[in-house]
Amino acid sequence: VARLIRTETEVEGRFEEVFLVVEEDALEQWPAGPREVVGRPATRVDGLGRARGDALFTADVKLPGMLHAAVLRSPHPRARVTRLDLSAALAAPGVRAAIGPGEIPVLAQEPAYEGQAVAAVCADTLDQAREAVALIAVDWEELEPILDPDEAVAGGSLLDTRRTERGDVDHGLAESDVVVEATYRTQVVLHNSMETHQSVCRWVGEDLEVHISTQYVWGVRNDLARGLGIDPDRVRVVCDYMGGGFGSKTNPDDHTFIGAELARRTGRPVRTALTRSEEHVVAGNRAATIQRLVAGARADGTLTALSGDFVNAVGFSGWNTLVEGPMQTLYACPNVRTVTNGAKLNLPPMKAFRAPGFVEGTFGLECLLDELASTLGLDPLELRRRNYAEVEPVDGGSYSSKNLLECYRRAEPHWERRHEVRARSTATVKRGVGMASQVWWGGGGPPSYAWVRVGSDGHAAVVTATQDVGSGTRTALSQIAAEELGIPLEHVTFAVGDTSRGPYSTLSAGSSTLPSMGPAVRAAAADARRQILELAAQRWGDDVGELSQEQIQEVVGLLGNGQILGTGARGPNPAGMTVLTFGVQVAEVAVDVETGEVTVERIAAIHDIGRVINPLTASSQVEGGIIQGVGHTLSEARLTDPATGRILTRSLDAYRMPTIADVPEIVSELVDIPDEHLTNLGSKGIGEPPIIPVAAAVANAIRDATGADVRELPISRAEMLRALSEAKTREGVAV
Amino acid sequence: MRATLVTPPSLDEIPEGSVLLAGGTEVVPQLKEGLLEAATLADVSGLVPHGIDGMRIGAGTTLAEIEASGDVPSALREACRLAASPQIRAMGTIGGNLLQSTRCWYWRLGYHCRLRGGDACNARDGEHREHAIFANGFCASAHPSDVAAALVALGAGVQTSRRELSVAELYHVPEPGDPRTLALEPDEVLLELVIPEVDASVYLKAMDRKRFGFPLVGVAAARRGDKTTVALAGVAPVPWLSDGSLDDATPLPGNAWKVEVAQALVDRALASIRPS
Repeated sequence: VARLIRTETEVEGRFEEVFLVVEEDALEQWPAGPREVVGRPATRVDGLGRARGDALFTADVKLPGMLHAAVLRSPHPRARVTRLDLSAALAAPGVRAAIGPGEIPVLAQEPAYEGQAVAAVCADTLDQAREAVALIAVDWEELEPILDPDEAVAGGSLLDTRRTERGDVDHGLAESDVVVEATYRTQVVLHNSMETHQSVCRWVGEDLEVHISTQYVWGVRNDLARGLGIDPDRVRVVCDYMGGGFGSKTNPDDHTFIGAELARRTGRPVRTALTRSEEHVVAGNRAATIQRLVAGARADGTLTALSGDFVNAVGFSGWNTLVEGPMQTLYACPNVRTVTNGAKLNLPPMKAFRAPGFVEGTFGLECLLDELASTLGLDPLELRRRNYAEVEPVDGGSYSSKNLLECYRRAEPHWERRHEVRARSTATVKRGVGMASQVWWGGGGPPSYAWVRVGSDGHAAVVTATQDVGSGTRTALSQIAAEELGIPLEHVTFAVGDTSRGPYSTLSAGSSTLPSMGPAVRAAAADARRQILELAAQRWGDDVGELSQEQIQEVVGLLGNGQILGTGARGPNPAGMTVLTFGVQVAEVAVDVETGEVTVERIAAIHDIGRVINPLTASSQVEGGIIQGVGHTLSEARLTDPATGRILTRSLDAYRMPTIADVPEIVSELVDIPDEHLTNLGSKGIGEPPIIPVAAAVANAIRDATGADVRELPISRAEMLRALSEAKTREGVAV
Repeated sequence: MRATLVTPPSLDEIPEGSVLLAGGTEVVPQLKEGLLEAATLADVSGLVPHGIDGMRIGAGTTLAEIEASGDVPSALREACRLAASPQIRAMGTIGGNLLQSTRCWYWRLGYHCRLRGGDACNARDGEHREHAIFANGFCASAHPSDVAAALVALGAGVQTSRRELSVAELYHVPEPGDPRTLALEPDEVLLELVIPEVDASVYLKAMDRKRFGFPLVGVAAARRGDKTTVALAGVAPVPWLSDGSLDDATPLPGNAWKVEVAQALVDRALASIRPS
């Protein structure tokens, strides 16, 4: 039964009060532990197809008559186009159309960041399109850009400012025995999806068909409909396989609006794909932060006050992420004050990036906690236990489930290794162990729907219009359908990624695909199963009891060309409860104190995400998150020229992602306890949690190994040597 | 990018003005980025000597082949092993490696810097965290070749289509009026490298990640009897012959850390080849 509720929705830490039509979730959860299919490791249902090259990505879409677009992007962080002449481009070989500033909203007359789209050309081949773009005659009037985040805040160039306070921080500091203060800085990090941002647009009569590498086919549909002023049902959005997004692919972006316009003008399909260099500039980024933090505590480690002055260097647009979130929610501190300024700069806009805000904020907070532990001479794990939050610290409400203490307990054997790890230090290579905790959302929410179709062969087709962004969605959701229907996993097919084929699904971001879609798939499968049981009762009588595999096969075999159609919807989240994921990671590092080289040797990750549907793909998510985390901890940084603000790291040579040789031994453990209040599954998402504590755990391990406080990401050799030198000076002063 | 690819029958028949192509791991990306103009590309991979014969190495020999050879001194083998990625080492030749351009991001993005005849070094005034700490007054670019530093330390010679010279003499420190980094004539082709015998040698390298990085600092050291030679990669616009001391380095405000790393690696390199 559909019900109208007023509720708060959350995506990546952005909240909105909305009316929602939800359907009740009447199913009982399965008992905890592995079932026939669910809770057992399953290799990817699409693995073979991917390995064979059968999987079709947007990059593979080639439509008859397809043209290629190339985009003229501003080379200046801030400028005005005083003259732009497309005639030479239009006259170039193979060119079919060209558009300039003002012809569509995404083409700017006054670009406000480097890489902002100004004009575009489409031609028979990509080379022709690129050569034609080079022929566009432009006069630029360069304007003074705003580049420094602190200066932007001081000068009032802000997206917004958020202030929060609970308790009385001044009082909390006054009653503390020790106060630690530190400033942490995090860098701009790029998503660098293997498949660059791209789409193919085709008009079919009045309807627009868009193939796009996206995490949200429905969001792209709605944004395009709104932007083009057409009915949403005139837009069909397709994304079958996709090569990574990490938060950066939830909108059509300029390339798709450009493609739609050029396709309209030429009557031909148009592909618009970012080059790797464009991907490094305008595909979004994790914004840099400055975090000026203070913690006050009693001698026994009890936190009395936390305060943070945060700056998010957002870029020209985007949003002011909840970088203060960990400080507000991780510990039971009565007095917390935060100020978060979102600096508006003439730099490319940020986009959501795998736990936006919390990756950055956890680095600051969890390093600060270790500096506090070191000041107090307390064990860092014990310090965290002493400040464990029994209730949600912001509103005093209850958690739907929280097994962070169990995570800490399971971390103990890894934490105990620190004595043995330190003992393996040499004169020049110091080893140590550090830890950090993790809090994040990841509970998903309504609305999301699924259909299950069972035919006379007894196989089930699960029809959805969600997306599998590479995380194994098809596999885990197929397991849920197989489990509920009581059929083998091989008898389930799973459709994703087409707004014209299946019902609405939420976006694949915010660790929400599985906790949002999983319960809908189970409900749809249960609906189909109920219908099968009804047929069985008519066939064999009401007392037929538990059906065997053969009986199911026999009764559906009677369907002929008939089909059983089950439908399911994601029910509401538990009212009045906070749904969060938790975890802890323990890192082991080796630091060469002469050359500043840091090696992450081992990370043990223990996360609490409720019921685990597929332990194999879940551990893949843990590994992927940690590898991406090692990158932003040690080597990745988008660099700009300080004077002009132009981006210097535009290639995979200059922007340094980790290689397999940089990957530590990863030990992944999941606390597989269903959240009894959350949906018919009790499952939360695992996409984001594993990246959150990596940087702080590594930095804290470095402190354990060397006594040096690293306070800046990435922990380059320069930063490592600076911190070592500072520690040495401090030691000298102490002596 | 549009160029005609020719395969000349001999080195004497290379069309004038051609850009030579062997492994292509440097020339092709530069053509794609518009950093190199070429109407004609001459594939010389079949013309340049290839293979390792005693202490002579054909300029067309790939880094992967040298890395796997037991006949070359450790410094050279290690410099090859620690360069680039297996895929690139399988394509890239030692001759091409010696002639590669700097990774200075300003130069790679086409800035009209002093190396291109401009009047400013963008890196000196800008982002230079991994730039030169020696000979950087005019241009702060850093030479990226691990192999070149190893060959300079080994005292290797090179036979070109015109002459014999030492590997160190291939390079020219860019200066006002002459911003070249190479001392080769326009149509001069590297043919063979001649590696003298040494008693011990080593190559150590600092990167931003464990593999597949250009040297932030690379240190090669070689010993013949009691005479030791040290050469550094990534610290000057050319491979840098060093007396083992970093005292005369002239770091910029943002790259003083490289002096510390270089000194540590030099000390380690010297210690590892000291006669026992």
